[in-house]
Amino acid sequence: MGATAAVVFASSVWVFGQEQAPGQAGQEGGAPAAAGRGGGRGRGRQAGPALPTPRLADGTVNFGRVPGEKGVWAVPYITNMGMQLVGDDGQPLPAIAQARQAAAAARGAGGGGRAAGGGGGGGRGGSKSEPWMPWMPWSAAMYDYNSKNESKYDPEGYCLPPGGPRMMATPYQMEIIQMPEHNRIVMIFEGATHIWREIYMDGRKFPEGDLLNPTYLGYSIGRWEGKDTLVVENTGFNENTWLDYFGHPHTDKMSVTERWTRPSKQTLHYQATINDPGAYTKPFTVAWDVPWRDGGELPEYICQENNRYLNRLEDDLGQPIFGPRPQPGVKPSGGTR
Amino acid sequence: MRSRVLLVFAFAIIVAVPATVGAQFGHPMKGQWSGEWGPKNSPNRILLNLDWDGKEITGTINPGPNGATVKSVVFDYTNPVAWGVKITAEGKDSSGKPVAISVDGKLENLGAYTKLFHGTWTQGGQKGEFVVTRN
Repeated sequence: MGATAAVVFASSVWVFGQEQAPGQAGQEGGAPAAAGRGGGRGRGRQAGPALPTPRLADGTVNFGRVPGEKGVWAVPYITNMGMQLVGDDGQPLPAIAQARQAAAAARGAGGGGRAAGGGGGGGRGGSKSEPWMPWMPWSAAMYDYNSKNESKYDPEGYCLPPGGPRMMATPYQMEIIQMPEHNRIVMIFEGATHIWREIYMDGRKFPEGDLLNPTYLGYSIGRWEGKDTLVVENTGFNENTWLDYFGHPHTDKMSVTERWTRPSKQTLHYQATINDPGAYTKPFTVAWDVPWRDGGELPEYICQENNRYLNRLEDDLGQPIFGPRPQPGVKPSGGTR
Repeated sequence: MRSRVLLVFAFAIIVAVPATVGAQFGHPMKGQWSGEWGPKNSPNRILLNLDWDGKEITGTINPGPNGATVKSVVFDYTNPVAWGVKITAEGKDSSGKPVAISVDGKLENLGAYTKLFHGTWTQGGQKGEFVVTRN
């Protein structure tokens, strides 16, 4: 069982109760609305017809609550970003749609349905099962390694922040609070280490050189495209995170362009174009829907509390992760030489 | 006795937390590595300072006036948990003469904080085992 699964699901179950098997949620949840699959894990989905998109006084989309009401975004659990790629038309890549169909057929036939790289921990196909990903040799090899050890070293298992698009793929609730009078937008997350994002809407430029301090969430500058789409450019990421639970790596050369829309009151559509010339040969775009959970409020969640996973985690050489540092020149025991 | 146990536990946390926070999940070869090569009774210290520019690994062995510039790094991913790595570099000896360095090793513990790189180090006419861990 991988790291994040241990930490994430414990709280997820506590918050939402028994809703959907983790293995199903990982791949099925959150497919783009264009694919007709709805969004999220199925929790909090609104019954009935789509309600009009709430708007602020200036006509731009209100991504938060309507005054007098409560509600939160129920972020889906996207375990494998490699199965969320969409084309220019916003539709899933044909190869992914075929892979999903094959997986569904395999499930129907009693198979695991995990051959396409979906599901929870077992039976993962590694980089070869995602030929549409623009791998570099090292990123493919690193992904294979993470597949082989079932995401044992997932940084989220350490309770480190997800970072990048994974913030919107970690299954806790979140809120978006717009403050146009301050030219800023704040996103607060229940999970994902109970963290917040700040998006600057004041037209500033990215800091340059050493002023752009690499961080988990990067530096975010937003702008409106018309009144319907919030475009957020992100750069300045550190290398302390993975793109997803499955272990797609990234480097500090990564930049992410997010496009946020709210086609109805009940649905947020999230799209992110990932451009990382340090890990992938060309940019790719992922997308999914996030359902609105009417009446919801953010509870407190502290990932670090009672995180026993780390106490029993050993590295490839059989050493405890929380053990003494090796001395220079001394090979830790258990190597394969 | 109990307070002593607590003290040890607190110290372990203090030591462990920075190690976790310092984890790096980009290219596993990138970063600063330190260790030794050669005979145990007279080892040579090594400091590798490596970077990944998106196309190749660049860097220096033992940065300083006599530092060796990395010329090439070639990976073999055949074993998914122990990548083969061959490094060639060119430095100078104490008299300023060029010295070729050839490193043939395995990169292990790829996802852990304590990444390990070990194998055979050849420098000038000398050859020996080396072990470096990522700082």
